[in-house]
Amino acid sequence: MAFVELKSVRKSYGSNTVLQDVDLNIEKGEIVAIIGRSGSGKSTLLRCINGLEPVQGGEVWVDGVAVHDPRANLRELRARVGIVFQSFNLFPHLTVERNITLGPTIVKGIGAAQAAVLAREALRKVGLEEKIKAYADELSGGQQQRVAIARSLAMAPSIMLFDEITSALDPELVGEVLLVLEAMAREGMTMLLVTHEMNFARRVAHRVVFMNQGKVWEQGPAKEFFAAPKTEELKGFLSAVLH
Amino acid sequence: MIRELALLDVYYLVLAVRWTIALTLLALAGGSLIGLLVAAGGASHHLLPRLLALGYVGLVQGIPLLAWLFIFYFGLSIVGYDLPPLIAATVGFSVYAGAFLGEIWRGALIAIPRTQWEAGTAIGLTYIEQLRHVIIPQAVRIAIPPTVGFLVQLIKNTSLAAVIGFVELTREGQMTTAATFQPFAVYLLVAALYFSLCYPLTRYSRVLEGRRRGVR
Amino acid sequence: MAYTFRFRDVLAQQDAILDGLIVTIELSAVTITVGFVFGTLVAIVLLYGRPWARAIARSYVEVIRNTPLIVQLFLIFFGLPAIGIKLDVMTASLLALSINLTAYTAEIVRAGFESIPKSQIEAGISLGLTGPQIFRHVVLLPALKNVYPSLSSQFVLLMLATSVVSQISAADLFHAGSIIQSRTFRDFEVYTVISVLYLCLTLLMRGGFRLCYMLMFRR
Repeated sequence: MAFVELKSVRKSYGSNTVLQDVDLNIEKGEIVAIIGRSGSGKSTLLRCINGLEPVQGGEVWVDGVAVHDPRANLRELRARVGIVFQSFNLFPHLTVERNITLGPTIVKGIGAAQAAVLAREALRKVGLEEKIKAYADELSGGQQQRVAIARSLAMAPSIMLFDEITSALDPELVGEVLLVLEAMAREGMTMLLVTHEMNFARRVAHRVVFMNQGKVWEQGPAKEFFAAPKTEELKGFLSAVLH
Repeated sequence: MIRELALLDVYYLVLAVRWTIALTLLALAGGSLIGLLVAAGGASHHLLPRLLALGYVGLVQGIPLLAWLFIFYFGLSIVGYDLPPLIAATVGFSVYAGAFLGEIWRGALIAIPRTQWEAGTAIGLTYIEQLRHVIIPQAVRIAIPPTVGFLVQLIKNTSLAAVIGFVELTREGQMTTAATFQPFAVYLLVAALYFSLCYPLTRYSRVLEGRRRGVR
Repeated sequence: MAYTFRFRDVLAQQDAILDGLIVTIELSAVTITVGFVFGTLVAIVLLYGRPWARAIARSYVEVIRNTPLIVQLFLIFFGLPAIGIKLDVMTASLLALSINLTAYTAEIVRAGFESIPKSQIEAGISLGLTGPQIFRHVVLLPALKNVYPSLSSQFVLLMLATSVVSQISAADLFHAGSIIQSRTFRDFEVYTVISVLYLCLTLLMRGGFRLCYMLMFRR
């Protein structure tokens, strides 16, 4: 079984069907980029994987856990599935350190001293060790996003989900965040990224998925995907985006 | 002479609601006049009107409403003139309401972005014309929900007029209690009557609040 | 006339004034503490409770907020004995004031909870925190910080509203006024002095709250 398996997933908000019959597998150690127009269901797909959004049809399996089951206890799974959001979502009233140690101490029951070590280590990975005692509003957007990544990393996840994490950043701050992602990729982290950064996807991802009208429209190995798109819709999307 | 709580008592209590409403409307009228001055002064570009407005609001809001009622009720006793409770209550509530309404309306005025004023100037309107055609219409829309909310406070506040002897709903309740020795039933009924006045207004102000959010 | 009086009332009656002032401060302090704690609890029920609990809490808040305090006071002090519950003046005053403030506090604090953006909650969920954990670590303090101005205003209003207990002869500052009034017959001057004292209390409270805000929320 693949690490993440989506089988015939259907998701709607009221009468609006956002995901139609989505089939997707992610293997351990894979780096998969998801691209597509807004409204194509990319973010929703990500949020269905860690159970933030319930699905109306189909199955979502993550590391053997049935996420689609309403009775599933997702708390334990969520400690293993890291997610980073477009708007960082740091806790403004807590220091960077406390933001990062909150999960490990409360969810995993790790002691304060050990959690502090974890926090320092996670911040080192994203290059922000010196900001450990700062508050979110003292940091730039790029720094906040890197702290958000560190917060997820401190939970030692088996997979990291990224929901358009550079879309809300000023252009000059995007690079520092992508560097962190590349470092994580080199270390073999399983990553699923919803992104607009096509060049990054082409360079770093193993596989790219194109979502359109709530379905997986086309997918393939990164180089081929961009070099030789097969469907008309993907060709159209790429020419609009890569001018 | 204790008598049973009769339907007649209920009737008189309901009738007393008229005075509660009347007092509320009087307070609203008086308070609006003062409130307009306070709001206009508070939103002014000049220091003196702002200080006066802020001083007025700070003074009025720092003293219990009961005290204001007593001050106006007994106030003219210096001059040896006995003020009828209705006048004292109206003046007292107007002074009180004026401060709160002034604050609400000042807030609405200063919430209009500077750019609206600039747009008015750009098409050649005078200060008064800008106020009339651009600023006040927008400010009114912002001010209505909290004003309706304050109206609920006013209705409840009129209950204090009972203390200076004005016969509105609460005073009627006190008198009925004295006659029938049924305080629980009487005050429950009085509370229910206030509730029937206030609750619909509370709901309405929530609807207005929701509508305004929607428009934004 | 007034000039001569001022001496007489302040010097001769300062005992009555001081006693009344102390009672007002005590009533306010106790009511604010109780109102804050229970108001927060009711707010939690309003948002996160079972449907039946939410209905009860919502009814309680709406009834209290849509009826006058003086009527609530009369109902408790005069009305309850009729069904067998006799309370002394102080207890009735505290009860009425607390029940009243709790309802207003609950509304304000509830709005505070709801002002926390959904994205914050989702961040907590995604880390694996449970509902109560999210509430405690992500919602509670930021919510209180957001509504601090509303809350402190409400508390000052409460202090001023304690004057209503004078109407059941509780020995507060406002009641001291009527005592002095009956002794000196200088009505207007009495209530002017009382008013100035309330104004001082208001200014002290506002200043105190601002100080607390600086200490608690500014780093």
